[in-house]
Amino acid sequence: MSLATLSHAIQSTDFFTSVRQSELFYPTVMATHLSCIAIFGGMILMTNLRLLNLALKHTPASVVIESLRVWKRIGFVVMIACGILLAGSHLEKYCANPYFQLKLSLLILTGIHGLIFHRSVYYNTRLDEEGKLPAKAVIAGGASLILWLSLVVCGRWIAYYDDPNAIAGLLRRLAHLV
Amino acid sequence: MIQPYDLSTNPMNTVEWLFAAMECVHIGSFALSIGTIAMVDMSLLGAGVKGRSPAQILRATELWTVAGLATVITAGLAIFSSDPLRYYYSPTFRFKIWVLLAAIVFNYTFHRRVALSGSSPFIAKATGAISMILWVTIVFSGLFFAFNPGGY
Repeated sequence: MSLATLSHAIQSTDFFTSVRQSELFYPTVMATHLSCIAIFGGMILMTNLRLLNLALKHTPASVVIESLRVWKRIGFVVMIACGILLAGSHLEKYCANPYFQLKLSLLILTGIHGLIFHRSVYYNTRLDEEGKLPAKAVIAGGASLILWLSLVVCGRWIAYYDDPNAIAGLLRRLAHLV
Repeated sequence: MIQPYDLSTNPMNTVEWLFAAMECVHIGSFALSIGTIAMVDMSLLGAGVKGRSPAQILRATELWTVAGLATVITAGLAIFSSDPLRYYYSPTFRFKIWVLLAAIVFNYTFHRRVALSGSSPFIAKATGAISMILWVTIVFSGLFFAFNPGGY
């Protein structure tokens, strides 16, 4: 079974069909997805800025991470649930969309990022002991910032993609500029 | 001599990627502004950064909030300029702007005073909750307008 048939079968289930066709539910899910970016995404952003030593400098990074963890978890679950509803109901189109593929890859990278810095940064209660954050904390904050900003950009670009040759065209134009 | 505004000369409409890029800036900067305000709200609700008072969180985040608000409004104006009349005549967009004005006034008057002065737990919690509701309402009305500019 090809990916196209599978994704078509998934989006054609009664559940995803009703999500797609609902006049109010679909935008409500999208608005919830966006509100999660505002509140919980904002907290991720501030955590990253703390790890980069740019914000909340008077509070230890480990305290910021530990205090906001529960909120970021709740937000992440709601955000992913909304994302599944949004993508699932248009899965066939989405699977063929390079920005969607890129966004999924970035999500996987975000998971790997969490695993890599799990003990050394995110669950390290002695993170601030040296008075200055270790380089790995700064690297984790910077990487997370780049990953999350790229996720937002990909999310928005999914909506504008309809031409399979668009990326090739964009690259050609960029090459032309250089 | 005032020239009539010609939509087709606005870079927002002529540069293919600019509108989407502005939307990304809009989303990123509302995450910064609303996210930092939400951190104060969480603190007011008693579930924020441990060992820090709402006043301390407010002081530590207020410059980021202002930077976020300035950026999100600038990007918003650029988006608005792409087709001002369509926005102007939309009930959903008008609602968004009224709630935005209310939220900004609330944030810099009542919300700020409660966060800095340490009011009773009830007032603090109510202020945090109202603030969250106002900002989420703005995100919702923005999305609903983009989804169906004709209005609901």
